[in-house]
Amino acid sequence: MEETISLQELMNVLKKRLIMILAITILAITIAGVVSYLLLTPIYQASTQILVNQDKVEQQPFNSQDIQTNLQLINTYNVIIKSPAILSIVIEKLDMDTTPAQLTNKISVDSTQNSQVINVSVTDEEPYRAVDIANTTGEVFQEEIKKLMKVDNVNILSPAELPEKPVPVKPNPKLNMAIGAVVGLMIGVGIAFLLEYLDTTVKTEQDVEDLLELPILGLVSPISEKEMPTPASRHRKKKR
Amino acid sequence: MAIFKKQKKPLQKAARKLITVDNPKSIISEQYRTIRTNIHFSSADTELRTIMLTSSSPSEGKSTSAANIAVVFAQEGRKVLLIDADMRKPTMHHTFHVNNGTGLSAVLTRQAEAAEAIIPTDIEHLSVMPCGPIPPNPAELIGSQTMKALIAQLKEQFDVIVFDAPPLLSVADAQILSNECDGTILVVNTGSTEKDNALKAKETLQSANARILGVLMNNYTLAKDHYYYQYYGTAE
Repeated sequence: MEETISLQELMNVLKKRLIMILAITILAITIAGVVSYLLLTPIYQASTQILVNQDKVEQQPFNSQDIQTNLQLINTYNVIIKSPAILSIVIEKLDMDTTPAQLTNKISVDSTQNSQVINVSVTDEEPYRAVDIANTTGEVFQEEIKKLMKVDNVNILSPAELPEKPVPVKPNPKLNMAIGAVVGLMIGVGIAFLLEYLDTTVKTEQDVEDLLELPILGLVSPISEKEMPTPASRHRKKKR
Repeated sequence: MAIFKKQKKPLQKAARKLITVDNPKSIISEQYRTIRTNIHFSSADTELRTIMLTSSSPSEGKSTSAANIAVVFAQEGRKVLLIDADMRKPTMHHTFHVNNGTGLSAVLTRQAEAAEAIIPTDIEHLSVMPCGPIPPNPAELIGSQTMKALIAQLKEQFDVIVFDAPPLLSVADAQILSNECDGTILVVNTGSTEKDNALKAKETLQSANARILGVLMNNYTLAKDHYYYQYYGTAE
């Protein structure tokens, strides 16, 4: 049986299942909203900026060779910040119940290309703890780098601060709900077409003509109760 | 009277909706009249005297359609007899509120005369023959010589005989009966009849050498822009 589907038929299928599609979409949005607002633990982020610069008075402040050296050092620093050598001290200082490996996952270090500033971002369920970790990491790094590299070229540019109203970076309920809406819509439309495809019943005059090749004598609409007089009035009529 | 009251509830449930009687001005009644016209047109040369309604599966609207078609034929002024040939699940005695004591089964087993089983209804020109007591062997009864003789006899008395038959794919009754009738109407329940079943039903009828007049699409929800909606005079 060959089937050609016209755009109009597609529209009719969607129109017929519109309520179902909308229901699934709304359901998906609700689930996404409930999960992101109630179930997922909000994660807060705090970041501190570290400036890497040789602090030598006798030299000219802008020695391009120095800057180059510093830039090359930054790559090394990036690794050092996340190394257990630093993090175990951070854990000790903050009296935290975690391992350096676990803490590494919370910290991300990045630096813009050719910039002497290192950005240390910390994510945590508690906003104040994120700030603490970020600041302590910066301080510990500043201290430790003197011993490790025998240089004193690290300054904390801007420490992390605890905002009055911390906004979690994740989950993003609005984004999740938007994703939920799109996914729900897709699932709804998919189910609508699936149902239409699985529905092998006779539905239109065209079906009868194509399939049975018999003339159609007539169509009879469903007889609703509205069209029928109530049984009581019918009885009354009969008795008369 | 007491018995009648007891039966009242299931009676109303099993009764088919006689919309052509209760609401002759409705769109649906108009649709039945269109079917009547189409039946006339489908037999230009030979006159159709016996019409059978059947469908592929149960509850697709055979009895309702049969009753309403019989009514519109009667409203045309013809002498119509409606026979409940569905001896497995008869409903006509509920629809027309008649006694099912004597009916087709009694006539076929020669327990009663045909005249005893024919009951006139409130509707002018329309008589019904209910099914009667449910027999154990409906297929044999319908296929018997007595049935042939009965149809021939009734044809002399009535202009149009409408048979309400059982579903085609469940039992053989309809197939046998379709061979005896001048025309067969296949009732299709829109949105519920499987295409495969409809096709099988058509093949079954063809193998019985039945003359299929056409398809009646029941439960067909009209689109708002359908031509029936534009028919004037039906608006209430």
